[in-house]
Amino acid sequence: MLRRGDYLVFLATLLLLPWLYFTLWGDQRAGAYAQILVGGDQQALVSLHQPQTIEVEGALGLSILEIVDGKIRFITSACQGKQCIHRGWINLGGEVVSCLPNQVSIAILGGEQRFDAINF
Amino acid sequence: MSELGYRQILTQPRDHRIAWWAALAITIHIVESALPSPIPGLKLGLANVVVIAVLMLYGWRDALWVALLRVLVGSLLIGTFLTPTFILSLSGAVASMLALGIAYYFSRLLPNWALGALGYSVLAAQAHMLGQFTAAYLLLIPHPALFKLLPVLMTAALVFGVISGMIATAMINNVEKRAHSGTSG
Repeated sequence: MLRRGDYLVFLATLLLLPWLYFTLWGDQRAGAYAQILVGGDQQALVSLHQPQTIEVEGALGLSILEIVDGKIRFITSACQGKQCIHRGWINLGGEVVSCLPNQVSIAILGGEQRFDAINF
Repeated sequence: MSELGYRQILTQPRDHRIAWWAALAITIHIVESALPSPIPGLKLGLANVVVIAVLMLYGWRDALWVALLRVLVGSLLIGTFLTPTFILSLSGAVASMLALGIAYYFSRLLPNWALGALGYSVLAAQAHMLGQFTAAYLLLIPHPALFKLLPVLMTAALVFGVISGMIATAMINNVEKRAHSGTSG
Protein backbone atom coordinates (compact mmCIF):
# COMPACT_ATOMS: atom_id res chain seq x y z
CA MET A 1 0.00 0.00 0.00
CA LEU A 2 2.77 2.44 0.90
CA ARG A 3 4.62 3.94 -2.02
CA ARG A 4 8.19 5.20 -2.12
CA GLY A 5 7.09 8.82 -2.01
CA ASP A 6 5.30 8.12 1.28
CA TYR A 7 8.60 7.11 2.87
CA LEU A 8 10.11 10.41 1.69
CA VAL A 9 7.31 12.31 3.43
CA PHE A 10 7.75 10.27 6.63
CA LEU A 11 11.52 10.79 6.57
CA ALA A 12 11.12 14.55 6.12
CA THR A 13 8.58 14.68 8.96
CA LEU A 14 10.71 12.61 11.30
CA LEU A 15 13.64 14.95 10.65
CA LEU A 16 11.52 18.09 11.00
CA LEU A 17 9.87 17.24 14.32
CA PRO A 18 12.99 16.64 16.48
CA TRP A 19 14.54 19.74 14.94
CA LEU A 20 11.47 21.78 15.91
CA TYR A 21 11.54 20.46 19.49
CA PHE A 22 15.26 21.08 19.74
CA THR A 23 15.25 24.65 18.40
CA LEU A 24 11.97 25.87 19.89
CA TRP A 25 12.03 24.10 23.25
CA GLY A 26 15.75 24.29 23.96
CA ASP A 27 16.80 26.68 26.70
CA GLN A 28 17.87 29.90 25.04
CA ARG A 29 18.53 31.64 28.32
CA ALA A 30 21.74 29.85 29.26
CA GLY A 31 24.73 32.15 29.49
CA ALA A 32 28.16 31.56 28.01
CA TYR A 33 30.48 33.40 30.42
CA ALA A 34 30.84 34.05 34.14
CA GLN A 35 32.19 37.31 35.41
CA ILE A 36 33.95 36.94 38.75
CA LEU A 37 34.08 40.07 40.88
CA VAL A 38 35.89 40.82 44.11
CA GLY A 39 34.69 43.97 45.81
CA GLY A 40 33.26 45.29 42.57
CA ASP A 41 36.39 44.80 40.46
CA GLN A 42 36.36 42.16 37.75
CA GLN A 43 38.80 39.44 38.76
CA ALA A 44 38.25 37.08 35.83
CA LEU A 45 35.95 36.39 32.89
CA VAL A 46 35.68 32.65 32.35
CA SER A 47 33.87 30.46 29.85
CA LEU A 48 31.16 28.20 31.28
CA HIS A 49 32.00 25.56 28.71
CA GLN A 50 35.39 24.81 30.19
CA PRO A 51 35.14 22.71 33.38
CA GLN A 52 37.48 24.02 36.05
CA THR A 53 37.78 25.07 39.66
CA ILE A 54 38.78 28.63 40.39
CA GLU A 55 40.29 29.96 43.58
CA VAL A 56 39.45 33.54 44.43
CA GLU A 57 40.97 35.52 47.26
CA GLY A 58 38.26 37.61 48.91
CA ALA A 59 38.13 40.03 51.83
CA LEU A 60 38.03 37.24 54.46
CA GLY A 61 39.88 34.47 52.69
CA LEU A 62 39.64 31.90 49.94
CA SER A 63 36.49 31.15 47.89
CA ILE A 64 36.55 28.18 45.53
CA LEU A 65 34.26 28.12 42.51
CA GLU A 66 33.47 25.17 40.26
CA ILE A 67 32.41 25.20 36.60
CA VAL A 68 30.81 22.03 35.14
CA ASP A 69 28.53 21.61 32.09
CA GLY A 70 27.89 25.29 31.48
CA LYS A 71 27.03 26.12 35.11
CA ILE A 72 28.94 27.55 38.04
CA ARG A 73 28.71 27.43 41.88
CA PHE A 74 30.58 28.19 45.05
CA ILE A 75 32.02 25.07 46.67
CA THR A 76 33.98 26.64 49.51
CA SER A 77 33.86 30.05 51.03
CA ALA A 78 35.61 31.71 53.91
CA CYS A 79 32.40 33.38 55.05
CA GLN A 80 30.22 32.50 58.08
CA GLY A 81 26.72 32.05 56.64
CA LYS A 82 27.65 30.05 53.49
CA GLN A 83 24.66 31.61 51.72
CA CYS A 84 26.65 31.65 48.52
CA ILE A 85 27.21 27.87 48.66
CA HIS A 86 23.54 27.24 49.40
CA ARG A 87 22.55 29.26 46.34
CA GLY A 88 23.80 26.30 44.30
CA TRP A 89 24.36 26.19 40.55
CA ILE A 90 23.62 29.15 38.29
CA ASN A 91 23.71 29.14 34.50
CA LEU A 92 21.12 31.57 33.07
CA GLY A 93 22.02 34.95 31.62
CA GLY A 94 21.72 37.68 34.26
CA GLU A 95 21.88 35.35 37.27
CA VAL A 96 24.12 36.42 40.11
CA VAL A 97 25.48 34.74 43.27
CA SER A 98 27.31 36.90 45.70
CA CYS A 99 29.04 36.30 48.94
CA LEU A 100 28.75 39.66 50.70
CA PRO A 101 31.04 38.89 53.68
CA ASN A 102 33.84 37.73 51.43
CA GLN A 103 32.95 40.31 48.72
CA VAL A 104 33.13 37.68 45.95
CA SER A 105 30.36 37.57 43.37
CA ILE A 106 29.66 35.76 40.11
CA ALA A 107 27.46 37.14 37.34
CA ILE A 108 26.47 35.16 34.24
CA LEU A 109 26.91 36.98 30.95
CA GLY A 110 25.35 36.15 27.57
CA GLY A 111 22.09 34.36 26.89
CA GLU A 112 18.67 35.89 26.98
CA GLN A 113 18.64 38.28 29.94
CA ARG A 114 15.75 37.75 32.31
CA PHE A 115 16.30 40.98 34.26
CA ASP A 116 17.38 44.45 33.26
CA ALA A 117 19.02 45.11 36.60
CA ILE A 118 19.30 43.57 40.05
CA ASN A 119 19.58 45.60 43.23
CA PHE A 120 20.90 44.21 46.48
CA MET B 1 -30.06 32.20 -24.90
CA SER B 2 -33.17 30.56 -23.54
CA GLU B 3 -36.74 31.72 -24.09
CA LEU B 4 -36.72 33.49 -20.73
CA GLY B 5 -33.87 35.72 -21.86
CA TYR B 6 -31.06 34.49 -19.62
CA ARG B 7 -28.14 32.43 -20.64
CA GLN B 8 -28.36 28.91 -19.36
CA ILE B 9 -25.32 27.53 -17.63
CA LEU B 10 -24.82 23.94 -18.57
CA THR B 11 -23.37 21.83 -15.81
CA GLN B 12 -20.85 19.22 -16.70
CA PRO B 13 -20.54 15.81 -15.00
CA ARG B 14 -17.36 17.18 -13.43
CA ASP B 15 -19.37 19.97 -11.73
CA HIS B 16 -21.77 17.44 -10.25
CA ARG B 17 -18.88 15.31 -9.06
CA ILE B 18 -17.18 18.27 -7.40
CA ALA B 19 -20.44 19.38 -5.81
CA TRP B 20 -21.09 15.88 -4.52
CA TRP B 21 -17.66 15.51 -2.93
CA ALA B 22 -17.68 19.09 -1.62
CA ALA B 23 -21.06 18.43 0.03
CA LEU B 24 -19.54 15.39 1.73
CA ALA B 25 -16.52 17.42 2.90
CA ILE B 26 -18.76 20.24 4.19
CA THR B 27 -20.95 17.80 6.11
CA ILE B 28 -17.94 16.21 7.79
CA HIS B 29 -16.49 19.67 8.49
CA ILE B 30 -19.69 20.83 10.21
CA VAL B 31 -20.09 17.65 12.26
CA GLU B 32 -16.47 17.92 13.34
CA SER B 33 -16.79 21.57 14.30
CA ALA B 34 -19.24 20.48 17.02
CA LEU B 35 -16.47 18.51 18.75
CA PRO B 36 -14.59 20.47 21.43
CA SER B 37 -10.89 21.17 20.94
CA PRO B 38 -8.21 22.00 23.53
CA ILE B 39 -6.41 24.54 21.29
CA PRO B 40 -8.03 26.51 18.44
CA GLY B 41 -6.95 25.03 15.14
CA LEU B 42 -6.14 21.65 16.64
CA LYS B 43 -8.57 19.12 15.29
CA LEU B 44 -8.64 15.86 13.44
CA GLY B 45 -9.45 17.44 10.07
CA LEU B 46 -11.54 14.57 8.75
CA ALA B 47 -12.81 16.77 5.91
CA ASN B 48 -9.30 16.49 4.50
CA VAL B 49 -9.90 12.76 4.00
CA VAL B 50 -12.32 13.78 1.25
CA VAL B 51 -9.78 16.16 -0.30
CA ILE B 52 -7.13 13.39 -0.37
CA ALA B 53 -9.58 10.91 -1.88
CA VAL B 54 -10.58 13.40 -4.61
CA LEU B 55 -6.90 14.14 -5.27
CA MET B 56 -6.11 10.46 -5.75
CA LEU B 57 -9.24 9.70 -7.79
CA TYR B 58 -9.68 12.82 -9.97
CA GLY B 59 -6.57 14.98 -9.64
CA TRP B 60 -5.41 18.18 -8.03
CA ARG B 61 -7.75 20.69 -9.70
CA ASP B 62 -10.85 18.89 -8.45
CA ALA B 63 -9.30 18.54 -5.01
CA LEU B 64 -8.62 22.30 -4.95
CA TRP B 65 -12.27 23.00 -5.73
CA VAL B 66 -13.45 20.68 -2.99
CA ALA B 67 -11.01 22.15 -0.45
CA LEU B 68 -11.93 25.77 -1.18
CA LEU B 69 -15.68 25.07 -1.33
CA ARG B 70 -15.39 23.25 1.97
CA VAL B 71 -13.79 26.30 3.64
CA LEU B 72 -16.19 28.81 2.07
CA VAL B 73 -19.52 26.97 2.40
CA GLY B 74 -18.54 25.39 5.72
CA SER B 75 -17.82 28.81 7.24
CA LEU B 76 -21.05 30.27 5.82
CA LEU B 77 -23.08 27.44 7.37
CA ILE B 78 -21.30 27.49 10.75
CA GLY B 79 -21.35 31.29 10.80
CA THR B 80 -17.62 31.90 10.96
CA PHE B 81 -17.28 33.50 7.50
CA LEU B 82 -14.59 36.24 7.56
CA THR B 83 -13.89 35.66 11.27
CA PRO B 84 -10.39 34.72 12.52
CA THR B 85 -11.46 31.05 12.44
CA PHE B 86 -12.24 31.40 8.74
CA ILE B 87 -8.91 33.11 8.04
CA LEU B 88 -7.03 30.33 9.85
CA SER B 89 -9.04 27.68 8.03
CA LEU B 90 -8.49 29.32 4.64
CA SER B 91 -4.75 29.80 5.11
CA GLY B 92 -4.44 26.18 6.22
CA ALA B 93 -6.37 24.98 3.17
CA VAL B 94 -4.34 27.15 0.78
CA ALA B 95 -1.02 25.98 2.28
CA SER B 96 -2.02 22.32 2.18
CA MET B 97 -3.31 22.58 -1.40
CA LEU B 98 -0.03 24.20 -2.47
CA ALA B 99 1.96 21.38 -0.85
CA LEU B 100 -0.36 18.78 -2.38
CA GLY B 101 -0.05 20.45 -5.79
CA ILE B 102 3.73 20.27 -5.68
CA ALA B 103 3.65 16.66 -4.47
CA TYR B 104 1.00 15.70 -7.05
CA TYR B 105 2.94 17.01 -10.05
CA PHE B 106 6.17 15.62 -8.59
CA SER B 107 4.45 12.22 -8.42
CA ARG B 108 3.42 12.53 -12.05
CA LEU B 109 6.93 13.48 -13.16
CA LEU B 110 8.60 10.68 -11.23
CA PRO B 111 6.09 7.81 -11.01
CA ASN B 112 8.68 5.68 -9.20
CA TRP B 113 8.68 8.15 -6.35
CA ALA B 114 4.93 8.78 -6.35
CA LEU B 115 3.10 9.41 -3.11
CA GLY B 116 0.20 7.31 -1.82
CA ALA B 117 -2.81 8.49 0.17
CA LEU B 118 -0.90 8.23 3.46
CA GLY B 119 1.99 10.38 2.23
CA TYR B 120 -0.34 13.01 0.75
CA SER B 121 -2.37 13.07 3.92
CA VAL B 122 0.62 13.54 6.26
CA LEU B 123 2.03 16.20 3.94
CA ALA B 124 -1.31 18.01 3.75
CA ALA B 125 -1.78 17.91 7.52
CA GLN B 126 1.69 19.35 8.15
CA ALA B 127 1.30 22.07 5.51
CA HIS B 128 -2.20 22.87 6.82
CA MET B 129 -0.85 23.31 10.34
CA LEU B 130 2.10 25.42 9.17
CA GLY B 131 -0.12 27.68 7.06
CA GLN B 132 -2.58 28.09 9.89
CA PHE B 133 0.19 28.74 12.39
CA THR B 134 1.83 31.35 10.15
CA ALA B 135 -1.51 33.16 9.73
CA ALA B 136 -2.13 32.99 13.49
CA TYR B 137 1.32 34.40 14.20
CA LEU B 138 1.23 37.17 11.57
CA LEU B 139 -2.39 38.28 12.00
CA LEU B 140 -3.66 37.28 15.41
CA ILE B 141 -0.96 36.71 18.04
CA PRO B 142 2.42 38.12 16.92
CA HIS B 143 4.19 36.96 20.07
CA PRO B 144 7.33 34.79 20.02
CA ALA B 145 5.91 32.58 22.79
CA LEU B 146 3.52 31.15 20.18
CA PHE B 147 6.47 29.24 18.70
CA LYS B 148 6.58 27.10 21.84
CA LEU B 149 3.31 25.55 20.64
CA LEU B 150 4.59 24.71 17.17
CA PRO B 151 6.35 21.40 17.97
CA VAL B 152 3.23 20.06 19.73
CA LEU B 153 0.95 21.22 16.93
CA MET B 154 3.18 19.64 14.27
CA THR B 155 3.30 16.36 16.20
CA ALA B 156 -0.49 16.39 16.42
CA ALA B 157 -0.64 17.14 12.69
CA LEU B 158 1.53 14.07 11.99
CA VAL B 159 -0.74 11.81 14.07
CA PHE B 160 -3.92 13.27 12.53
CA GLY B 161 -2.38 13.03 9.05
CA VAL B 162 -1.67 9.32 9.52
CA ILE B 163 -5.23 8.69 10.78
CA SER B 164 -6.80 10.65 7.89
CA GLY B 165 -4.50 8.90 5.42
CA MET B 166 -5.61 5.48 6.63
CA ILE B 167 -9.27 6.46 6.34
CA ALA B 168 -8.63 7.94 2.87
CA THR B 169 -6.92 4.70 1.75
CA ALA B 170 -9.94 2.65 2.84
CA MET B 171 -12.28 5.15 1.16
CA ILE B 172 -10.40 5.10 -2.16
CA ASN B 173 -10.32 1.28 -2.18
CA ASN B 174 -14.05 1.21 -1.59
CA VAL B 175 -14.81 3.74 -4.34
CA GLU B 176 -12.60 1.86 -6.81
CA LYS B 177 -14.19 -1.48 -5.91
CA ARG B 178 -17.67 -0.03 -6.52
CA ALA B 179 -16.52 1.53 -9.78
CA HIS B 180 -15.21 -1.84 -11.00
CA SER B 181 -18.34 -3.77 -9.98
CA GLY B 182 -20.43 -1.27 -11.92
CA THR B 183 -22.58 0.23 -9.15
CA SER B 184 -22.19 3.87 -8.40
CA GLY B 185 -21.41 5.01 -4.87
